[in-house]
Amino acid sequence: MTGTKAGKFLRGKIAALIAIIIVVGAIFTIANKSYISPKNIMSLMTSISLSGTLAVGLGCLLISGHVDLASGTEGCIAGIVVALLLGTGMPWPVALLLTVVFGCVMGLVHAFLVHVLGFMAFIATIGMSSVYKGLALVISNGANVSISNQAFYTIGSGSLGIFPLPFIIMTVLFIVYSLILKYTKFGRAVYLCGGNVNAARLAGVSPKRVSTILFVNCGAISALAGAIFAARVHMGGPNNVWGAEMDGIAAAVLGGVSFMGGSGNLGGAFVGLILINAFNNGLNAIGLQAYWQTAAQGVILIAALLVDYFGERGRVRALKAAS
Amino acid sequence: MAGCIEFSGISKLFPGVRALADVSFRADSGQVLALLGENGAGKSTLLKILSGDVKPDGGRISIDGAEQSFQSPTDALRAGISVIYQERQLVPAGSVAENIFAGDLPGRSGVVDYKALYEQTAEIIGKFGLDIDPDEPVGRLPIARQQMVEIMKAYRRDSAIIAFDEPTASLTDSEISILFRLINELKESGKIIIYVSHRLSEIFQISDKITVLKDGCLVTTLETARTDEAELIRAMVGRDLGDTYAKLSRNDRLGDTLLEVRDLETEDVHGVSFTLRRGEVLGFAGLIGAGRTEVMRAIFGADRILSGAVVFDGREGGFKSPKEAIDAGVALCPEDRKEQGLVLFRSIRDNITMPVLQKLKRLLFLDKRAGHKLAQSAIARYDIRTPSADKAVVELSGGNQQKVILGRWTSDMMDTKLLILDEPTKGIDVGTKAEVYQIICDFAKQGIGVIFISSELTEVINVADRILVMKGGRITGELTRAEATEENVLALAMKDV
Repeated sequence: MTGTKAGKFLRGKIAALIAIIIVVGAIFTIANKSYISPKNIMSLMTSISLSGTLAVGLGCLLISGHVDLASGTEGCIAGIVVALLLGTGMPWPVALLLTVVFGCVMGLVHAFLVHVLGFMAFIATIGMSSVYKGLALVISNGANVSISNQAFYTIGSGSLGIFPLPFIIMTVLFIVYSLILKYTKFGRAVYLCGGNVNAARLAGVSPKRVSTILFVNCGAISALAGAIFAARVHMGGPNNVWGAEMDGIAAAVLGGVSFMGGSGNLGGAFVGLILINAFNNGLNAIGLQAYWQTAAQGVILIAALLVDYFGERGRVRALKAAS
Repeated sequence: MAGCIEFSGISKLFPGVRALADVSFRADSGQVLALLGENGAGKSTLLKILSGDVKPDGGRISIDGAEQSFQSPTDALRAGISVIYQERQLVPAGSVAENIFAGDLPGRSGVVDYKALYEQTAEIIGKFGLDIDPDEPVGRLPIARQQMVEIMKAYRRDSAIIAFDEPTASLTDSEISILFRLINELKESGKIIIYVSHRLSEIFQISDKITVLKDGCLVTTLETARTDEAELIRAMVGRDLGDTYAKLSRNDRLGDTLLEVRDLETEDVHGVSFTLRRGEVLGFAGLIGAGRTEVMRAIFGADRILSGAVVFDGREGGFKSPKEAIDAGVALCPEDRKEQGLVLFRSIRDNITMPVLQKLKRLLFLDKRAGHKLAQSAIARYDIRTPSADKAVVELSGGNQQKVILGRWTSDMMDTKLLILDEPTKGIDVGTKAEVYQIICDFAKQGIGVIFISSELTEVINVADRILVMKGGRITGELTRAEATEENVLALAMKDV
């Protein structure tokens, strides 16, 4: 069993992505030795952690067949909220907790729009993201709200060895949610709902309950990500965080999470995340002009999808030949 | 374990349709009750009410005398009811094991016990005598195997009441015999089985009692041992079909050769040669997957031809695309009418006028009135049962949907020379089938060459003038209607090549 499992893994998509990461990493290292310097790796890990943390909540939602395109703006407004709360002199754990609760409320609003009013998550969350962006401007008066609580900075800029704290938090979230998705009945229900909503309902699972929990969860994680980012840059600002959700979604889909729901896992999303960011970071390391970097980032995404496309076509052919 | 389930006075009204009216019957432990009726008779609605998916407007369901009130499928599951739907309720990316145990994975305090899951699944698969890997994603299995997974799912729940909705629709013969063996085992262990099927022969094989529905009303409940096919058909259609085939008014004047296929080779078709004359009905028999559909796709220009020749109406070279074929007067009605034939959420008119939009154009706009006339004439000619041509096709019954497709390709504005019908009677009721047979013969009378593919042996050997039998992408034999019997066609369909 283990032999076939290892074999399956090696032939799978994640193994292919890891191979691409190694090749890309090697090329950048040859071009510029400082690419694998501890300093650059640390900066890579820090830059990953924002979109990576968002990708955890988003990945779970995507697997269940929904999406939250507002998660970046939720993070943005959460950063301002935590900064304002800290400004009142509140102890930082309380401020952080309240911010996460605020995130839950935003998630609840999305679940309400999707389940009670019957809107598609895609459009409902695009609409809400505009609302959050506007609210962020209103409550911050359009300016950055600085944070002076030194203890709070640690969450964003502390580190253990070479591992930045935001990266550790993100990794722990990835591991915990991977385990939940893989080993709990709730986690398997997420796949069931994403794969076939009707089958889930007829099997006695409530898809509305499952995705409500996931919307709330995504809101909470987005708020946490926003707060961590605020701690890192010492302020909450109306232009922070938003946009990062797209990197999170791209990473998850690149790692094999189906945009239609029902398949993929967070391990894949993690690998996808590393690939996108290692590549972007490498473009800096070799000193490519900034304008070209944007185009190159798109090219790696399409290239990875092509690898997957040809792989899948090969599998279908093999299946056909076997039957 | 429940002793009996009683339906009393069940009624259900959908917008514009009375799906069920005052239906009462009972099913007992240790028996198989067959539900029989034409499409639109209300069988599916009844099953949906049983599974808690739809709430009835009136009446009640009681198990052992205790009235049930199902607010959701969960309630019905708790009451010991499993319904196996015709449309598979599976998660393609999920493993066989996870699908079988969907919503009820083994384990403690919310954590899944994968070892127990795979062991229990292997045990169930063993009981079915199948060779399936519990770890395999369901989407990678052939359709028939997926259907077996769906059945295993209900078997696993060990419900006291199990309802099957057309379970054999996509199964092979050997799988059908496995299914029947299991149904008999379930029955002997005291379960209540409700079995919905169109196939009369199956119903006689498996059921103890037969409840017949028509237009949402109960017609009668009969003891299987004390009835016969003729009586059932009479009950289902409300009239005696008698010998449908003998009554067909056929075409007896064949024209010249319309289509000639020589040594056709594609990825799935090998060395197929045949001819078709104008006004002829050529039947294609064979088991599912014999390559009949693939031959048609190649002729129609949908699949690439590797070698061989297709000569249509004196024109050499075959077709490079379906558009070329349509322009030359070839019409293909695909097997999967919902996926490949119809635009379900558009009106009857839109579906019928689809291929003639160019001709309906007046300056820049569509001539709506002409389109409406075209649709009206199809509705009248084929007796499509609908309040208006504006009704969305999705709201029609299967038989009426098929008539819409036939109407599309044979409207006055089409110049169809070759009509290819792939399983045109699949999932439609006995009464409508007879109408479709006559429609086919009428096409032939107009000089249209008709290719009629069907997996139902009786109809293909009785409707077609000549029958070609296929297996594994090759033609294994050719018979005239006079020569063909179910036995010799079946022998050719299973012949080793």
